[in-house]
Amino acid sequence: MKLELLFSGIGGQGVMLLGETLCAAAIRAGKKVTFSPFYGQEKRGGRTMCNIVVSDEMESPIISEAKVMLFMDERSLQDYEYMMAEDGVMILNSDTIDIEPTVKCAKVDRVPIYTMAQELGNAKTMNMVALGYVLKYLPEIDYNLVIEEVEKAFARKAKLIPLNVKAVETGYAAAQKAE
Amino acid sequence: MSKEAVFMQGNQAMAEAAIRGGCKMFFGYPITPSSEVPEYYARVMVERPEENITYIQAETECSAFNMIAGAAAAGHRSMTATAGPGFSLGQEAMSYMSAAGLPGVVVQIMRPGPADGEILPAQGDYFQITRGGGHGDYYTLALAPWSIQELVEIMQESFVLAEKYNNPVVVVSDAMLAKLRESVVLPDYTDNEAAPEEKHNTLTGAKGRKRHLITTCGFGAVQWNQFNNDLQKKYAEIAANEKRYESYFMDEDPDIVVVAFGAYSRVCLSGVKMAREAGLKVGMIRPISLWPFPDNAFEGLDGKQFLVCELNAGQMVQDVKLSVKNKDDVHFFGMLGGIVPTPKEICAEIQKVEVK
Amino acid sequence: MKVVYEAPKINTGVPTTYCGGCGHGIINRLIAEVIDEMELKEKAVLLWPIGCSCVNVNTMDIDQLCCLHGRGPASGTGMKRANPDNLVIVYQGDGDMVSEGMAEIMHAAIRGEKFTVIFVNNAIYGMTGAQMAPTTLLGQNASTAPGGRQVINSGYPVKMAELLAELPGTVYSERVTVNTPANIIKAKKAIKKAFELQMKGEGMTFVEVLSMCPTGWSMSPVKACEWVDTNMTEIFPLGVVKDETEGLKQQEEAAK
Repeated sequence: MKLELLFSGIGGQGVMLLGETLCAAAIRAGKKVTFSPFYGQEKRGGRTMCNIVVSDEMESPIISEAKVMLFMDERSLQDYEYMMAEDGVMILNSDTIDIEPTVKCAKVDRVPIYTMAQELGNAKTMNMVALGYVLKYLPEIDYNLVIEEVEKAFARKAKLIPLNVKAVETGYAAAQKAE
Repeated sequence: MSKEAVFMQGNQAMAEAAIRGGCKMFFGYPITPSSEVPEYYARVMVERPEENITYIQAETECSAFNMIAGAAAAGHRSMTATAGPGFSLGQEAMSYMSAAGLPGVVVQIMRPGPADGEILPAQGDYFQITRGGGHGDYYTLALAPWSIQELVEIMQESFVLAEKYNNPVVVVSDAMLAKLRESVVLPDYTDNEAAPEEKHNTLTGAKGRKRHLITTCGFGAVQWNQFNNDLQKKYAEIAANEKRYESYFMDEDPDIVVVAFGAYSRVCLSGVKMAREAGLKVGMIRPISLWPFPDNAFEGLDGKQFLVCELNAGQMVQDVKLSVKNKDDVHFFGMLGGIVPTPKEICAEIQKVEVK
Repeated sequence: MKVVYEAPKINTGVPTTYCGGCGHGIINRLIAEVIDEMELKEKAVLLWPIGCSCVNVNTMDIDQLCCLHGRGPASGTGMKRANPDNLVIVYQGDGDMVSEGMAEIMHAAIRGEKFTVIFVNNAIYGMTGAQMAPTTLLGQNASTAPGGRQVINSGYPVKMAELLAELPGTVYSERVTVNTPANIIKAKKAIKKAFELQMKGEGMTFVEVLSMCPTGWSMSPVKACEWVDTNMTEIFPLGVVKDETEGLKQQEEAAK
């Protein structure tokens, strides 16, 4: 198998941590995983994007198109939608994205990621809500492995573990309910 | 040995591999995209005292390279990691270590030049790395891995090679391989290092032996001619022993041969696979040793078309032309400034090559 | 017959190539004598600069590294950090240290590298043909300062012993000279003290030696010895500039 993903947002939204946590879980599921980060020049508030390749053998770290894309804001969508695979899925943060994608794809999921995170009491958990949602399209990565990696990712801020685990659960549950 | 794969950044995995490979001394100056390496060493020095790490943030790369020279002369494994501007500052010491026979190891994490340039992936320092880079007739062994797994293995081996030939070794990385995170099985601690006083010509104090002298000052033309001839003999030996490459789909008699190195060659291989799916007969050669260049990989390939893909204006392509019979069969696809083409774009370039 | 004077034991008998009246030979000898007296032959590593001294690497039977121009303090850092029990001597001239290698010496002192620097200041580039050094005196003739060094082009001579004494990493800084027998004895004491402090693991120990270069200065050896007194010591005063260890000792004694 080979699955190519692209996540993008604004610096500080935790897109990179989302990607890294997913990768760590995929490795534990026995996959070859490559994570390529791309940063804007700004230290805060710039564009962040990552390519992720999950496969059985080593592949190019640079992808031509992505099967699953997640966009947290409109500019990310505008910047990277051209990389969408025609048979792929696009996940949009519907709280901040009002525009329509201009490229063809099999499916667009509009998810109120920001609202869901706020309802959990902390908007910063957006990335973990998104992580839970994305898992819908990654059946080869075991949900429990992801939860374990989230716990590891927040090991230094143990207080935050329950909240972030809850955020993953919330996103995951929302994805199961969605079409 | 822990066989379990971990998820690690290229720079950090490389630093850990070096530490496990017996390199306990790091001298460096932070420069993007290399800075995670000095940061890693600095942290291990504080957090894992049992490793006995010496980490010095040097005032310049010029000094860092000379610190390596001193530590190597004292018989200790030592390294630095830098990018183009710092590598340029270190060239004086590369020339020196080559002449002095000092086994320093340098990681060159390429970014687009010339001058300050950018901090993205590039391969524009190929000439500097493979042609000596500094003054005088010398070469440094240069190895260019394409994955973090290969990077950690080459990182450890580079110390053994440096000590085998008493010559500096350059590990060639770039901003892509440096910042990439991927699954890697970290190599175990090695046990292949002699004690400092047992290594070649080390300066540990003349105890129970004749004095050792390391000098690169000539004593007249006749002596210096001989000195240089001896150096050339060493380079000939390295060239005979250390040419390394891998080939892909080359046993299927391809019409077109893509040639690429480093992390970018993975992108190229994906492009090759796409072209093959589209029905083209394509193979690939990936030089791992950039110096010595694996010209032997091109033996018996007369009549094929070669497409050299590099993130520069055309540097390795010259070595490929020197390695084939008909240089008109060698084509080039380059990209500058830090842009990395996608596999799809490389596939499109392969499709443009006219098969004769 | 009683031996009252002989060559240092670590001398190989190979003659030096220094010009008549040059101070380097004396300074080399003092280093050799102190290594003998302290029985440090098996621990000593001498790092040479680029200059007249680097072609005299065959005169001493100890481990030696001939460094790149100005980089001795950097290579010395790597060497002393690798093998801290060794006696590491970084020997530098004025062009080597104060021009080409100013960053290296300053930062080695900033870090308090625990080796000894012997700085031979003869206010001229001896090896390459009497070009101006950063320590050349104002008005002093040099092949690259015909008619004498001018402030407008070249600024002022640099006082390294004082400059390095400003840095907390330097524990000992003294300026000596070798132009008279009495001064040679003082110079030897300074070198010995520096080596002793190094072996105790103190910070950087620095000995600046004003040295004669009759060839570069275009004067007779006798005149050159006089010139040190009449011209050099005014700008480069002799004596201890900093001795942290004395200060510490006094503090300790006062505390008792």
